[in-house]
Amino acid sequence: MSSTTSRPAFLAYLSQYWREWAITGAAMVLALLLGAILMVVADPEVSANFAYLFTAPQLALGGAWAKVAGAYSALVAGAVGSPEALAHTSAKAAPLICAGLGVGLGFRAGLFNIGAQGQAIMGSIVAAYIGFTFQLPYGLHLLVAIIGGVAAGALWGGVVGWLKAKTGAHEVIVTIMMNYIAAGLLAWLLTTAAFMRPGRMDPISPEVQPTSALPGIYQQFHLGFLVAILAAAAVWWLLERSTTGFAIRAVGLNPNAAATAGMSVAATTTITMTFAGALAGLAGVQAALGPSANGVPVPLTVGLVGTVGFDAITVALLGRSRPLGIVLAGLLFGGLSAGGLAMQSVAQTPLTLTMVLQALVVLFVAAPALVQTLVPILKERKSKKVAMAGGEA
Amino acid sequence: MTAQHDAGLQLREITKKFGTFVANDAVSLDVQPGEIHCLLGENGAGKSTLMNVLYGLLQPDGGQIILDGEELHVENPRQAMAAGIGMVHQHFMLVEVFTVAENLILGREGGPVLNLEKARAKVTELAGRYNLPVDPDARIEDLPVGIQQRVEILKALANDAKYLVFDEPTAVLTPQEIDELMIVMQKLRDDGKGIVFITHKLREVRAIADRITVLRRGKIVGSAEPGTSESELAELMVGRAVDLRIAKPEAKVGQIRLSVKGLTVANPAGAVVVDGLDFEVASGEILCIAGVQGNGQSELADALLGNAQVTSGTVTLDGVDVTHSNPRQTIAAGLGFVPEDRQHDGYVANFTVAENLVLNRFTTQPFSKGLALDLKAIADNATDLVERYDIRTESITKLASQLSGGNAQKLVLARELSRDLALLVASQPTRGVDVGAIEFLHKRIVAERDTGAAVVIVSTELEEVEALADRVLVMYRGKAVGIVSPETPRDVLGLMMAGVPYEEALANSKAAATGKDN
Amino acid sequence: MKRSLIITSALGALALALGGCATPPPTPTAAPSVPASNFKACMVSDAGGFDDKSFNETAYAGLTKAKTELGVQTGEVQSKTDADYAQNVKSMVDAKCDIIVTVGFKLGDATEAAAKANPSIKFAIVDYFYEKPGKNLKALSFNTGEPSFLAGYAAASLSQTGKVGTYGGMKIPTVTAFMTGYAQGVAYYNKAKGKDVKVLGWDDTKKDGSFIPGNNPFGDVAGGKQVATNLIAQGADIILPVAGPSGEGALQAAQASNGKVGSLWVDTDGCVSQEKYCAVIPTSVGKAMDVAVFEAIKAAKDGSFTNDLYVGTLSNSGVYLAPFHDWDAKVSAETKTELDKVKADIIAGTIKVKS
Repeated sequence: MSSTTSRPAFLAYLSQYWREWAITGAAMVLALLLGAILMVVADPEVSANFAYLFTAPQLALGGAWAKVAGAYSALVAGAVGSPEALAHTSAKAAPLICAGLGVGLGFRAGLFNIGAQGQAIMGSIVAAYIGFTFQLPYGLHLLVAIIGGVAAGALWGGVVGWLKAKTGAHEVIVTIMMNYIAAGLLAWLLTTAAFMRPGRMDPISPEVQPTSALPGIYQQFHLGFLVAILAAAAVWWLLERSTTGFAIRAVGLNPNAAATAGMSVAATTTITMTFAGALAGLAGVQAALGPSANGVPVPLTVGLVGTVGFDAITVALLGRSRPLGIVLAGLLFGGLSAGGLAMQSVAQTPLTLTMVLQALVVLFVAAPALVQTLVPILKERKSKKVAMAGGEA
Repeated sequence: MTAQHDAGLQLREITKKFGTFVANDAVSLDVQPGEIHCLLGENGAGKSTLMNVLYGLLQPDGGQIILDGEELHVENPRQAMAAGIGMVHQHFMLVEVFTVAENLILGREGGPVLNLEKARAKVTELAGRYNLPVDPDARIEDLPVGIQQRVEILKALANDAKYLVFDEPTAVLTPQEIDELMIVMQKLRDDGKGIVFITHKLREVRAIADRITVLRRGKIVGSAEPGTSESELAELMVGRAVDLRIAKPEAKVGQIRLSVKGLTVANPAGAVVVDGLDFEVASGEILCIAGVQGNGQSELADALLGNAQVTSGTVTLDGVDVTHSNPRQTIAAGLGFVPEDRQHDGYVANFTVAENLVLNRFTTQPFSKGLALDLKAIADNATDLVERYDIRTESITKLASQLSGGNAQKLVLARELSRDLALLVASQPTRGVDVGAIEFLHKRIVAERDTGAAVVIVSTELEEVEALADRVLVMYRGKAVGIVSPETPRDVLGLMMAGVPYEEALANSKAAATGKDN
Repeated sequence: MKRSLIITSALGALALALGGCATPPPTPTAAPSVPASNFKACMVSDAGGFDDKSFNETAYAGLTKAKTELGVQTGEVQSKTDADYAQNVKSMVDAKCDIIVTVGFKLGDATEAAAKANPSIKFAIVDYFYEKPGKNLKALSFNTGEPSFLAGYAAASLSQTGKVGTYGGMKIPTVTAFMTGYAQGVAYYNKAKGKDVKVLGWDDTKKDGSFIPGNNPFGDVAGGKQVATNLIAQGADIILPVAGPSGEGALQAAQASNGKVGSLWVDTDGCVSQEKYCAVIPTSVGKAMDVAVFEAIKAAKDGSFTNDLYVGTLSNSGVYLAPFHDWDAKVSAETKTELDKVKADIIAGTIKVKS
């Protein structure tokens, strides 16, 4: 059970998992290839030159190469090309990791938490409200705002778990409805005096006090990212090392056996949804208190959290609902997002294309079987696979 | 060797390896039309692997399949079906929400328009021909297990199968259903089908086999005549002499530990399924609950655990009222519970062996410190139990899903018996478990009795009841027909399981015996 | 081994190469009529994107116009969420733009902060204003109340039922300005002509009215159609939707009425931007954002850029009432004359449109 990181153990890990890593790498390459084709087809100037493919190949291929190379070097440069790019990637990843953990934790308990969006919205509302309303000293203000936001998310998630445990209401339906309620509540709050910025009629809140902002460390790399990594570590500990996590996993994998062994499925469901909501709420806190590119947090508006709660579902699936996987998936998403902006601003690639590229990467990474079909060398020998599926021993 | 024969279905020198593990080592087997060939072996002997090769679910590493003199290549079940090979799986391959007729045409829709009418007619025709009555419009999920199996058989027959493989077909059936299946198999044989019957139950083999081949650790270890005695077959199968009836010391009955008074239980639909039950179990004794499946035994067990709705009556354990306790509380009060369906309720398939071994104790000392699990204590516990209960697993970190049926049951029992118990409730403790493991499990249960626990065993298998019981409570429609001695003749117990009170059953049985004598 | 992969790419290439044997034209395309400039003009959309058939799109038209007519380099970034704005503006700073135009009030904070941090770059923001803008920051706002007043007058004159309607996407100033101007125009018509045309969907004394419910009020065509249908059911036969793309719902509802109902359009001339609905659009309330954006870029390039608030009015043609197109015959010569008079009075200040 205990794992030592001695050299043989590392080699054993490598021999066991190299294929998974290779598949992930191949998935990226495939997505980029397909994206390149799309980019060339979508640009009328470049694709027009393909009419001269055989007569003047330098025109067609050179144009295509310039186009693709420009876009992809912008993507890489924007995601990881400089300390500044890395900082941008980390800022994009932090809320995705938090919300992804919330969704992933639900998955581990057999719950499909579609409600990360609403939980994040609630977290952002409370964190921002505390941030712009109260006057508190440095440190304390931030702490109170974080706790408030996390508690709001926890409440929003916990209600779903409680409803499911008490009435059997399906969490998918309830969370979707809770998302609507949260979005509507935010839209309404932004029309009230408590939330509207003095002197403005637009639905936008005042800026939060500097005392409540997540302090920046380098550019956009801020404390929130470290908080997200800590949250991932905490979720790992919860799932793998705590009695609560043991129950969560047992209920998720076989609720009947868990109940027979004396665990309370209802209590576990409520606890899990509360934790999941807290994590998604933390994503909302990041959105409300994390410094943006100009060094101050973005004021609360209807679209502040964006689609973090829905992207989180993809992140959780991509990360196989494991904390480390979710951190990596969140970083991948963050990098694609940061690099995608550079593709737009530097290489003038339209936003829609960068979004298609992101979707392609996710699609290939999430479908290893597809990658194996396209790149057959990554297939495992059949007999081994069968041994897992069909052996009777 | 029958390799010279041209007719029939032959497997020649089939070899199948999984990594370095040889599941089938040059296994040859043949079946002729109009015979039942029993393939006997323990769980893990390689029976299912061999049949999966035949059915195209696995590709062999060596050997040939010959059908009526010609070599046959089967790459998938569809090709096997096309060649006239049908399979009745242990775990049914039916779509539960579809009707019988819909399941029958599944995968053979033949065009975009479903011809349900034709499918219905086919069900009726086949059902009539082989005496397998089934309602073509009944939904699978509403049917009892025995009838579901009929649908599996009908599916194979609908494909005009000439050869039928039955993979452990009796593991999920009640004694009555087993008898009915035997009749159906004989009828199919008489109709000219060649049948391979995979099992590890010796009584069934003796009852029906025309030929017997025994497989052990991937190799054919011999063949036997149908008349061979059970103990000889068991020895061939396990590789050593086996006690079919364990030597059980006399019970040293102590004070009453479990007391059930007027217990009435309703199912979720509100119907009364346990009806005013009264019984007591003392320290050092085993009470067997006998009865045909579905007469309230499962619900009784659930009620003792605290997982059923008790409408009236009381359950007292060591003087404490536990009638309305939940499972956590009854487990804490000293209940060990082996559920009827171990895969469903007994363990978490995707948990490791070690995790499963503390499934109901992980919050207690020494397995947790505050909120944290003590992984070392959990691992030590697993290492210890795996050795003591001979759970065959590569490592305690392997998933429980990789254990064979017998080893999974050992795991559940090991977990339950590793605590100080006031009461052990075990339902079908040896269902789907091979002979060698049965012996072991029975010994453990008796040993637990002898440490002073009260033991309740729910079983539908009379062999098991006879082997374990100090007293037998027969249940019929939620009521106790009577509490009798385990020496009670089988036919009397059989009559009681049909609801006939003991006195009357005894009289009937005697009358029948006299009638036979005349 | 990578056969399938090669096939995939080859297919893609093949699709491009159809007719790949043509000869390239001997000379590259004719040089543009305007000499290329090193001046770079850039734009950041709000979360609606440049294809919103409304204000982002109109503003973007100003950038395109600057590219062709002034020969400037351009750069652009579309925003996905509200949290992106600061970053997106920064990415345009990094792209070495000389002027950055941002679109929508939501970018107000981010634009101001960027302007402060980058005094050498000019900034302009559409649909917003600042109390004290920095020297390099120009706000472009539009007094949409004025043309809406004219639209209300025209609508009242066209109504057969004596009821006209309006609805908004969300209760925000840039939306309600249209609705209140529209209601005042109707009231002015009633007073001048001694009529009693009612306005449904906006109560000018309470300053409240009908808005599209739900999560995405500006992108919900079905929701817009629902609200429009409700107004029609209550008797309104001319509708003013002020809801960006959701306004298309009103056009659909008007089209379904077989000529009984007309729907106005806002921001752009609907007969151009929503061409297929032209037959049901009596007129549109236009904001010449493209002109304002173009002028701001031109000024920055020429060196005549100031931080003075630009307000589009009827007077400077920054806002306008679009032509009647298909409805021209239905609008009486008398009404047309009166509209000219009202417009002149608004410009002269004799008619005050309150916000």
